[in-house]
Amino acid sequence: MKLAEPDSDIVAHGEEIAAALRAIVPDGVVSDAAGLAAFDGDALTAYRQKPLVTVLPRDAAQVAAVLRYAFEHGVPIVPRGAGTSLSGGALPRADGILLSLTRMNRIKEIDLDNRCVVTEPGATNLSITRAVEGRGFYYAPDPSSQIACTVGGNVAENSGGLHCLKYGLTTNNLLGVEIVLIDGARLTLGGKAPGARGLDLLGVVAGSEGLLGVVVEATLRILPKPPATRTLLAAFASVPAAGQCVADIIAAGIVPAAMEFMDRRCIEAVEAHCAPGYPKDAEGVLIIDADGIAAEVDHATARIAEIARANGAQVREAREEAERVKLWSGRKAAFPAMGRLAPDMLCMDGTIPRRKLPEVLARMAEMAKEYKLGFCNVFHAGDGNLHPLIIFDVMKPGELDRAEAFGAAILRLCVEVGGVLTGEHGVGVEKRDLMPDMFSEADLAQQQRLKCAFDSGGLLNPGKVFPTLSACVEGGHMHVKDGRIPFPNLPRF
Amino acid sequence: MPTHVVSSESEIVDAVMTAREWTSPLEIVAGGSKRNFGRAVVTMGSVLDVSGVKGIVAYEPEELIITAAPGTPLDEIEAALAQKGQRLGFEPADWGPLLGEPAGLGTIGGAICADVCGPARLRYGAMRDSLLGFRGVNGFGEAFKAGGKVVKNVTGFDVPKLVCGAFGTLCVLTEVTLRVFPRPPLSTILRVSELMPEDGFALLRRLWSSPLEATGLSFSHGNVLVRFEGEKEPLAEKCAAARALIGARDVEDVEQGEIAFRAIGSGEIFVDEPYDVWRVFVPPAAAAQVAAQIDSPLWLADWAGGLLWVGALPGSDVVRAAAAKAGGYATLLRASEETRERVAVFEPEDAARAALTKSVKAAFDPLGLFNPGRMWDGV
Repeated sequence: MKLAEPDSDIVAHGEEIAAALRAIVPDGVVSDAAGLAAFDGDALTAYRQKPLVTVLPRDAAQVAAVLRYAFEHGVPIVPRGAGTSLSGGALPRADGILLSLTRMNRIKEIDLDNRCVVTEPGATNLSITRAVEGRGFYYAPDPSSQIACTVGGNVAENSGGLHCLKYGLTTNNLLGVEIVLIDGARLTLGGKAPGARGLDLLGVVAGSEGLLGVVVEATLRILPKPPATRTLLAAFASVPAAGQCVADIIAAGIVPAAMEFMDRRCIEAVEAHCAPGYPKDAEGVLIIDADGIAAEVDHATARIAEIARANGAQVREAREEAERVKLWSGRKAAFPAMGRLAPDMLCMDGTIPRRKLPEVLARMAEMAKEYKLGFCNVFHAGDGNLHPLIIFDVMKPGELDRAEAFGAAILRLCVEVGGVLTGEHGVGVEKRDLMPDMFSEADLAQQQRLKCAFDSGGLLNPGKVFPTLSACVEGGHMHVKDGRIPFPNLPRF
Repeated sequence: MPTHVVSSESEIVDAVMTAREWTSPLEIVAGGSKRNFGRAVVTMGSVLDVSGVKGIVAYEPEELIITAAPGTPLDEIEAALAQKGQRLGFEPADWGPLLGEPAGLGTIGGAICADVCGPARLRYGAMRDSLLGFRGVNGFGEAFKAGGKVVKNVTGFDVPKLVCGAFGTLCVLTEVTLRVFPRPPLSTILRVSELMPEDGFALLRRLWSSPLEATGLSFSHGNVLVRFEGEKEPLAEKCAAARALIGARDVEDVEQGEIAFRAIGSGEIFVDEPYDVWRVFVPPAAAAQVAAQIDSPLWLADWAGGLLWVGALPGSDVVRAAAAKAGGYATLLRASEETRERVAVFEPEDAARAALTKSVKAAFDPLGLFNPGRMWDGV
């Protein structure tokens, strides 16, 4: 992946820009090289880039002033939460301001009567559940980085987690936001009343990867905590049997709270790492949670066990909480377990129609030989979201390129079988250049026009999501706002 | 007004290209059941009849998705799903009779465009939570797609959300993919009678905040109606837990309770009444106060209080003011054409939001060809 050349004119004005930001946020500007090193990327570790300057506002008014400044001076701006994006969504630019929202981490209101929490964007995902669990509630989306990742980042990426099939992604649990547009205007979308009062702009802001506006407040739906959860482990002698089991569970009308698949390579890696006790001869295991009221959970687990056995599985149920935690520990350790096998790892994130799992796994094994790289698969089987983990060593010449090519081939395969490029990690820079594999020129043009409706100068998180930068046009004419031409350094076309 | 009847995406592209050439707007109609909802479309162009763009394209029960052409009758989709023990989550209601049309005309495309969701929205989400992807033709005359055909997808902007409830002002849909849900085998509806609104709404919220996952929580005429669904034993346990939570009051099992919920979703009590009909969206905890302020002779509540159906004298502006005061908003679902010219059907937007709405509209339909004026002036 080639990153854009920085605009040397903007870079030359770095000190001036930092001084202007200091006037807005006196105690929250980082512009020295050592300080900026802390902000040089996110969890897509293959890419590192220091920003021109980092600003850490304390409130929405400061965010608005920063955006207004960027707008008036044509400076790109990259919003950032905790920097846990796996797709490079928060990768800075050498010619851009990095807008870190982590100091805005206050939970503003807990409104149990309306079953929601109003929070600033920098609050962590887990802190929402922590704030309401004493009263019997929780916040459902649970990306694996939930201890660190922020609500603002979750909204930008429409983050998922293990429980999406039953409880949805961030967008399905988001009631409202206040956003700041690139010109500094503040806008409230949605709220505690249901529905969209007009066009569902909230729906399109969720998952827009920081390209449409900056979230400065979010209203989140909280759910009553299910009184019971039971966990089953089902081990299969073949991948098609596991796939059939998943299909049969869904066809039986059961929506498990979570249903995770791990392939043989993954089982071997986690057994070596933390010995969760999965059968070593299995070609794949499913870990399945059912939650709800006790009678419902009893009914669901009995049916699931029956269906799994009918598909030839060895089934084990966790009898107590400690065993439940142990069964899950293997799944949760998949990343670090693979990480022990090689210094670098790429975590891919496509979604496929569930029935295609055996075919996709078989073809991936073929590809791995071709690219000469190790990999394994974890799969949110309930919703078809596949996470191949590719291991490599960035210090070995050519391995990063091969790993990226392998990853791209996997995602193309996901699209080929009827799926999509990303189920929950976002496009970012990582999958940007693959967008034409899923979308036609007309599809992408329509999305870019929508981007232009929010940010006609293309200043918000440029270089993410879309493979080519097209200037916003209106009726065939270059869009000129207040006498300024967008992208003044670009050749006109 | 001339009518173009189309039956495929390519014919829609042709119709839009012609409309572009003459800058001649199109009123997009399929079943026509909700044509009287919204502002009157500026009609100096043609009707684009898309009812022939119909049929189920693919139904994959094990993937929990169905793909259909938007002119497919809702009845056909629901029947196909029922055969496999599934259903739509948002419980589409039939607003035809309320709007002066026969029952049973509704299409899936119309339900998407008007964001028609019934009582189960409370549990399974709105139309926007079910629409996974679509194909459509924009105002440039380009066929395009957005979203995907899998239940979990974050690739590109979530444009499917945007077309839900956009009343056909952004593009002409040509294919839609929806998430579907298992249909529980049994349901039980409980009724608690003779409650003052304040107590009724408090009870609704108590049930809503419990883990019992009710799929309907409504209040009308002093009665709280609660619907639970599931397999036999879990259902019995839920009902027992609900009775314990409700306390000493009389709780009755309602026979034919499904009919009661269908009537709530379709606004049946208003059909033969002389009132304008508003749908008022409020934070649930504000429902009692808003209902008291509006003080309507005929009203009911759904979604644990988040939705009030209100009958009001023609032209009254009490409803919208009361909703706004509580942080909510209101939509005028049924009124005479004359009233709809005078009173905003959709919540009026402030300048900043109106500007953004217009930019978004222009991103899809810069010439204003699709249902112009249906939502607001110029949109």
